[in-house]
Amino acid sequence: MRRYKKTIIGSSLLLIILLMSCLYPLYGPADFNQKVLIHDENGRVIDRAPFPPSEEHWLGTTRNGEDVHWVLLYGVKFTLIAAFSVAVLRVIFGGIVGIIISLWAPFLKRYFKDFFLTMRYIPSILIAIILMIPIKFPDDVAISSIVTYQLIILVFIGFPSVTVFAADITDELLKTSFVQSSYLMGAGNFHIIKRQLLPYMRSYGILFTVQQILSTLQIIMQLSIFELFLGGANRAGIFGYDDPYGRPKLASMSYEWAGLIGQNFTEFTQMPWIVFAPLLGFFVLILIINMIKKELENNILGVQLMKTKRKRKKEKPLPAAQTHTGKFDFLHD
Amino acid sequence: MKRLLSALFRSALVLSGFLFIFNLPLILGIGVDSVEIHFDQFWEVVKNNLQFLFQIKDDMYLSLFKQLDITGSYQYTMSILLISLTGIILIAMVTMVLIMIAPEKIRIYLKNGVNFFEAVPDLLIIFLFQFFVISLYKATGFKFLRLYGVFGVKPYFIPIITVSFLPLFLLLQFLIQVITEEQNQLYVLYVKAKGIGRLRTLLIHMIRNILPLIVLQLRTVIWVLLSNIYLVEHMFNINGFTKQFVIIIYQGGDFASLVACLLMLSLPLLVIEAAGWLVSKRIKGTEAVSL
Repeated sequence: MRRYKKTIIGSSLLLIILLMSCLYPLYGPADFNQKVLIHDENGRVIDRAPFPPSEEHWLGTTRNGEDVHWVLLYGVKFTLIAAFSVAVLRVIFGGIVGIIISLWAPFLKRYFKDFFLTMRYIPSILIAIILMIPIKFPDDVAISSIVTYQLIILVFIGFPSVTVFAADITDELLKTSFVQSSYLMGAGNFHIIKRQLLPYMRSYGILFTVQQILSTLQIIMQLSIFELFLGGANRAGIFGYDDPYGRPKLASMSYEWAGLIGQNFTEFTQMPWIVFAPLLGFFVLILIINMIKKELENNILGVQLMKTKRKRKKEKPLPAAQTHTGKFDFLHD
Repeated sequence: MKRLLSALFRSALVLSGFLFIFNLPLILGIGVDSVEIHFDQFWEVVKNNLQFLFQIKDDMYLSLFKQLDITGSYQYTMSILLISLTGIILIAMVTMVLIMIAPEKIRIYLKNGVNFFEAVPDLLIIFLFQFFVISLYKATGFKFLRLYGVFGVKPYFIPIITVSFLPLFLLLQFLIQVITEEQNQLYVLYVKAKGIGRLRTLLIHMIRNILPLIVLQLRTVIWVLLSNIYLVEHMFNINGFTKQFVIIIYQGGDFASLVACLLMLSLPLLVIEAAGWLVSKRIKGTEAVSL
């Protein structure tokens, strides 16, 4: 039978993290316990940020003296919301276009694939970088427009593959006997969508969304290595960072996890906690989502397996005993 | 004639798709507080790009491309790709055989272990390797593993291992899955009934039968390898092919250079796809004969 135990546990975990992050202003310190210098009793400076993990600072502090665990808790909502909304938009647009292509214009599928052929041969990270360059040097624009631009690009990158997938699956479903007989009895395309495809679309839609969340998380993280942060970059740079060439190092404006990884990835020789804390957090997020994905995949595939098993049972050959044609049978042998 | 026309039409589509994708930022201008859409500017640039592509006699043509150290860096990147690919195939095959002949209980654990790596993000692996090498250096004071590509040095060992770590598990997972399905085939049962040993069946019969599938799967492996190489070369500051690519993007290289670079980068994918096409054609051919 279908079981959704892991899905329920995983999504409630994600929801709890999201809620905690959204409600952060209610309970967390607004300045993330910022403390750059430590003085002794006489008022002399004995140490300066960043501090390594300790009892006081659970995951250490950033160069700016902010507690890493508070920063992470504050920033995770942007990561989750962005990944989720990008995935949902990809699946909605891709799914609709895919179904339209498959039902009304099957000849278009070839041309659609040709048009987006580039995306099949160039790793998506390269395309994403080329398309994201305008946001690296913005001239005083609102964050909302930067974020909108980024979301559009992220949705666009995943759109062709989702569309082709959706069209393929719809093609497969159209070949099944129940859809064929529905057509024979005079059903129109809309009726087919409503009655026959919708139940499948729900399960496949959820599975696609989860897969797309994973790929979005990956690409956000890879983009951040190239200083293309979700939510724009803070041009003042990281506090107290000395570049040998005197350039300010761009910092993520939103404290979003991928951005935290990207802005600090050069620092891990001296302060590994600043990079490894968000990186491991990201890993945990991906693990949870992957767990959900596995279970959903098993459910969809498992149902098909069960059906074939049932069929096989019916096709069992008749027991040999019935084929006796002799005049008498031995009852006990 | 009809075929020629359709081929022309399709290549025109590919070209227009390419132009559309790479000029998308021009349609979506970032306004002060909203994203603006302007098509006229987009159209102008697209026309310019097209003209530029066909103006081969111009002196400016591929000017930046000629200045860069293309051949050396391309050789380096492609040799990393090739070495990792051969390494991955060999190690994955050997490990697969070892896992398949392991006792049942251990096999399940091993399979779960392989499946675990599916979720690991590539950046985590790169960071861990970097961290490992540097702490090794700190502990021993020996610099026997080169990590960064400063002063024109091109390290091989660590980049290759870092790049091929995750694709190895990807291929291994695929191999295990395919061979487990292959075990349900009738011929395996038949061979077993004839009294031929498990190892012999696996090595001689089953691997030969799944070879075409492996060739088809190699496309994904190369794809992952390419994007991993890109990340690693950026993070280790190695002067590889992708570095030239970044220079072309950021220093406003002309459109033709970009096209040339992208074509060179996707060459391995094209090669493996051609191989996959040949193999699948051959399978279909033999199936038709056997029917």
